[in-house]
Formats: sequence, structure tokens, C-alpha cells
Amino acid sequence: MELQLQDLSRQYGTNYAVSHVNATLVPGVYGLLGANGAGKTTLMRMISGVLKPTAGSIRFNGKTIGELGERYYTHLGYMPQDFGFYPDFTAREFMLYMAAVKGLDKKRAEARTENLLQMVNLQDVADKKIKSFSGGMKQRLGIAQAELNSPAILILDEPTAGLDPKERVRFRNLISDFAKEKIVILSTHIVSDVSYIADIILLMKNGSFLLQEPMAAVTDSMKGKVWELLVDERDADRYSRKFSVVNLHHEGDRVRLRILDEARPAEEAEAAEPSLEDLFLYHFGENDYDPHENPQPDPSSTDRKKRKNHVPINSSKKSRGGKR
Amino acid sequence: MMSAKQNQRTPNRTHPHRADGLSLIRFEFLKIVRKRSTLTIMAVSLLLTAFLFGLPVIQYQIYDQNGVMKGTKGIAYDREQYADLSVPLTEEYITKTIREVQGLFEDPANVGYDGNERFLIGDAYWNEIAPRENFLNLIARTYAAPNESRGYNSFPDLDASDGADFYQAVQAKREAILNESGRALSNEQKAYWSGMAGKIDTPLQYGYYEGWEVIISSFGLLLFAVLAICIVIAPVFSGEYQAGTDAVILSAKYGRTKLITAKLAASLLFGTIAFAFHMVTACAIPLAAFGVSGWNLPMQIANTAIPYPLTFLQGTMRNIGILYLVLLGMIGLTLFLSSRMKSPYLVLIVLVPVLFIPMLLSPNGTAGAYNLMLFLLPYQAVMPEFGKYISYQAGGLVFDAFSARAILYAVFTAVMLLLARGGFQRHETAG
Repeated sequence: MELQLQDLSRQYGTNYAVSHVNATLVPGVYGLLGANGAGKTTLMRMISGVLKPTAGSIRFNGKTIGELGERYYTHLGYMPQDFGFYPDFTAREFMLYMAAVKGLDKKRAEARTENLLQMVNLQDVADKKIKSFSGGMKQRLGIAQAELNSPAILILDEPTAGLDPKERVRFRNLISDFAKEKIVILSTHIVSDVSYIADIILLMKNGSFLLQEPMAAVTDSMKGKVWELLVDERDADRYSRKFSVVNLHHEGDRVRLRILDEARPAEEAEAAEPSLEDLFLYHFGENDYDPHENPQPDPSSTDRKKRKNHVPINSSKKSRGGKR
Repeated sequence: MMSAKQNQRTPNRTHPHRADGLSLIRFEFLKIVRKRSTLTIMAVSLLLTAFLFGLPVIQYQIYDQNGVMKGTKGIAYDREQYADLSVPLTEEYITKTIREVQGLFEDPANVGYDGNERFLIGDAYWNEIAPRENFLNLIARTYAAPNESRGYNSFPDLDASDGADFYQAVQAKREAILNESGRALSNEQKAYWSGMAGKIDTPLQYGYYEGWEVIISSFGLLLFAVLAICIVIAPVFSGEYQAGTDAVILSAKYGRTKLITAKLAASLLFGTIAFAFHMVTACAIPLAAFGVSGWNLPMQIANTAIPYPLTFLQGTMRNIGILYLVLLGMIGLTLFLSSRMKSPYLVLIVLVPVLFIPMLLSPNGTAGAYNLMLFLLPYQAVMPEFGKYISYQAGGLVFDAFSARAILYAVFTAVMLLLARGGFQRHETAG
């Protein structure tokens, strides 16, 4: 099973939302990372067949979407970002409706509905109207509908956005359960979500892939670029102006800085183990990183808002692109 | 190029031939009727229809020597008067009637004069004219020139000494109408109308038909019901865009095929059921108040110039059919707009003027492109205009207003539904 994106582009006027993207996807979980406006949603909508590329093609097992026609959609499960529901439908009705749209026969539709509602822990509220559901319940219903036809390609656009940490963990586990033997494309700008479940990272910026690497290898590219340094509080400001400081941690009257830089920022700086967040910030900078979306802040660290007030980070030092 | 779990499994897919199209229609229908707004709009619309069609009952009034009688009491009194009038309008009966009235005018004690015209007064009026004034006026208008208004007080001018020649007068009036220069009817059109009128059975049977007249004269009021139904239908496609559900359903197997058919079918089904409820409301109130009598009487007893060989029931049903087609056309237009617009409100911004601007336009005749077009627009198209001889010609083919409206709205509906289908099929969710 193979999904090929060949020179895929979507142009609006003179602007490219997605520009000449090439990738071959085989079963596995793909974490599509990028800042807001990077082109993630456009790319996913093209793969989902709800938006036509202005150039290039999408092939599933060698055939284009056009050649496959309706058959392509039988292989597809899609959970768009912020998609609405029918508030006057119950969860069960919504699932049966989607099963009918997906072409499942009645018997299978009922069986899959019961099974999936149980998997997403909505069986007790299956006959309640969706308008009474919380955001997390709606998200779970969203992934359940995407899974109805046991799709080979599962596309999840920002599935954890707006969820509290507990719901987010539950959701990640659900995705892992559903992901077996599928091509799962998971878009998010919440770095920690993909770090737990993605096999491969697709890093997107300005409509193009900056990086397509297995999860294990992706942080290797950052080795030798992440440094930690313990400095006096009065020196922290100086370092922040000069380097890309991605984290500060107050330790008594001293501050531990986490710095991204090609070269060792100071003699006493020690090389640190790079994280996916370092990679993201290295490529996108803090301006592209939404601190409120960070699900698991280091409780011992000063939060970014506070740090910003303390020590302004020099964004000009952090803007780097085209590392590959 | 990238490492990941490899699997060449061919996924077990769905059964394409077993999907139940009916269940899609059921769900789409449920989507429409489950909304609280649907129930509210329909309830308001039905109440408005009941009120508008109940007004003629509430406002009904008739006079006798003792004063005015209103509402159901007046209706009951009027129906009693018609008991003696349920007769075939033979030449003998018409002649006898005209002579009776002429006799009344011969006694100066019965006659009043307002400076312009003479009329009967006192017992002569209240006992001999008032109970059958509509009937007498019908006879009088038959002998009048087209567009000339005449009442029973024109009877003294008629020469009934050798018989009234009533049906000859009916024929002459029709011919006079057909030959009016302002109508600009072609020979084919004249032949069409003459041929149609030739099928009217004579002598005409007279009787009470007030309930049907109320319905026929109030069809225009049902445009509010059409609007209400279209308001409910407006979100069928645009509501999906607005709610963001379009991406989910368009990425599903039948999202661009059977689902669209189901949406169109569910909309038409809802429109049909809502229409039936409105029509039952609209007809039930006048018929309950005035009675159903007259259903089998010829429409010519309301106006002898009417060329359609129809009873009141047939005429009413024919116009209900046209109204239904207009509704389907407007549902089609609504669905087309809905498939192209991102919000149901935008749909209504276009639809409301389409429905109601024609209300502000008045025909200035029955000929010419402006008038002929106006009679096809939604508001005018639901007015039956039985006696206006509105016809359309294409080559040697002549179509009366009903046929032209039926063809136009059937074609319009089909085109709009096809365009709506195409609109949703081609819809792309914004990236």
C-alpha cells in the first residue's frame, strides 16, 4: 500500500499554499508539523479529495484519485479541523448517517457504529444529541466517524486542538489503536502530540516539506545545535539577545538557558539531547510557536509568557529555514 | 525514501452495491425536520396561512333589510338564498329572469336614480334582487362589452322579447375579447381559445360556490408558504459549508454522488409534505366555513367569459398543480443558490427579491413581452387568471397560461436541480 504525492501544488493567485510537494507514504503514522499557515490543512484536504491540486497528482497504489473515482474514498477516513456536527442528531444517528454516506451496508454500519462508539467511550451517550457533547466528546466522535469504513488512509487534521491534557492523552491512545496497518497523517502544531505517536515527521513550512525523517532520526539533525548553560540572571538577558533561547529555568539565583545555535554559545555550555520541540523552534522560531497549545510545560520552567516579560528573546536569531 | 512499517494489505472495503440510498434520504430528511428552526418556521407559516385564508370568513358580511350579517351567520344566510338558484341556466330561465327584472323597473315606485343610473329600491330590491344579485350581475356582464362593467340595472336596455339568446351572447363576448386589438392574439391563439371554449357544456348549472371562489382568489397569499419552505431548505448545502461538515461528507464515498441525490430528494420530499399541509390548511378553512358545494359546478358561473371547461374543483386543482410546480422551481433555485453560497442567509438575500419583487409589478394588459413575462414570474404565476386569455405561442404551438407555467417551472426545476448537483459536486473546501 502506497500513497504518492507527486509535485503536488495548490496555488491561489500567485501564492502557493502548497508548493511542489513530493512524498511516498507507506503504512505508518506521519506527523505533519508546521506553524499556522504552513499549508498543512491544504495538503490534507488535497489528499482527502475535497480540494483539487492546481498541479501535480496524488496516487494510491499507482492510480490517481481521478482514475480511482469513488473507490479512492472507500480507502479514506478524514477528520477535518474544527468540523461541525449535526447538533440535532444523536451520536448513533450521526455514525449511521456517515456510514451510509461512506457506502456501508446497514448490517455493517450498525456493527461498526456500536464497536467504534464503544472504542471512543461514547456508548453511554450514543442516543444523546450531539449538541449536548463537550469538545472532547465531539473530537472522539469525529475520529470514530473517520474510522467507520476501516480506511487504509486516515487523515486527522489537528485532532487534539482544544482538548485538555487528559483528553489529549486519551485521544493519542485512540489514534495509536486505529493506526495499525494504515497510512495515518496527523497534522498538528502541538509538538508533543506527534512525538508520542508519529513514526515519521513531515515538517512543513511555506507550503513545502522542510524535512521528511523517521521520528528516531529527526532529532539527530539537531545534535550539536542544542546547548544548556547556567548563567547569572543578569547575563540571561545578554544571552537571550544574542542567541535563540528556547527555555529558561531558574535555579536559585541562577538561570539555566536552553539555546539553539550552530556553535557552542559559551565555553561552559553543554550539549543537550535535542527534542522535537527544539527542532520545531529551530525551524519556525517562537513567533510560530503557540505557547497556549503546549500541552505539557515543564513545571519547573518559567512559562514562556513570563519569560518573555523577563527576558525578551531575540527572534531575528531564530529565523532559519531550508535546512535540508 | 522513508522508513516506516511496510504493509501491502489490500484493505477490506465496503460493499458498493449495497448502500441504501433510501437511508440517505431518510437521514437528510431528518436533518431538515429535526431543526428547531424548521418547526418554528413551519408553525408560523401555517398559522399565517390559516389567518390569511380565515380572513374572508371573519370579514364576510352580507346585508338584508334589517342590516348587516357578519361571519358564519352571514355565510349561512347567503347559502340559504342560493337554494332557489341551484338551477340549469337555460335560455328560458335566463329570459324569464331578465323579463322579471325588466318588469320591476317598469313600476316607478321601485326605481331610484342617483343622477347617473337607475336602480331598484325598497322591497323590489331586497326581495327580488339582493338574494340573487351576483347571478343577475353575471347575466348583465355577459351582454356587456369587454372591460365594461354592468349590473342588473342594465336589464331594461336588453331586448329579451324574442328570448335572451344568452349563450349566443356568451359566444359573442368571447369573440369580442379575442378580437380586442390590445390583446394582439394571433389566429392560432384565437382558434386555440375558441376550441377550448367549445368544450364547455351548456346549459351551465348554477349554484353556490363561494368557498371555491375564496380559495381561487387567494392563491397569491400562498407565496409566503413558498418562502417559508425555501427558508427551511436554504441550508441544505450552504449549511454544510457553514458548519464545516462539507469536508467530511465530500471525502466519503457517496459524498459527490448519492448523497447529493438524497439531499435533493429529501428537500423535494420536505417541500411536498409542507406544501400539502399548507394546502390542506388553506382549503380546509374556506371550505369548512362556506361548504364544499360548487365543486362540480362550471367556473363560467363566476364569469361567463372564462374559456376553460373546468369545474371549480378542477380549476382549483389545476392551479394547485401550478403552485406546486412554482414551489418546486423555487426549491430548485434555493438548492442551486445553496450549493453555491457559503451561508443560508446569502441564499435568502437572493431568493426573497426573486419571490417578492414581481408582487410590486402590475401587468398593464395581457399582451407584449413585459406582460407575458410577468405572468410567468412566481407571484403572478400562482394567480390563475382564468378569464384573461393569457397565451403563449411558439411556432404553430399555442400554450395557455397554465401549460406555459407548467412547462416553464418543470424545466426550471430540472435545470436548477442539475445546477445544484453540479455546484456541490464541484465544491471544494477552502484550504
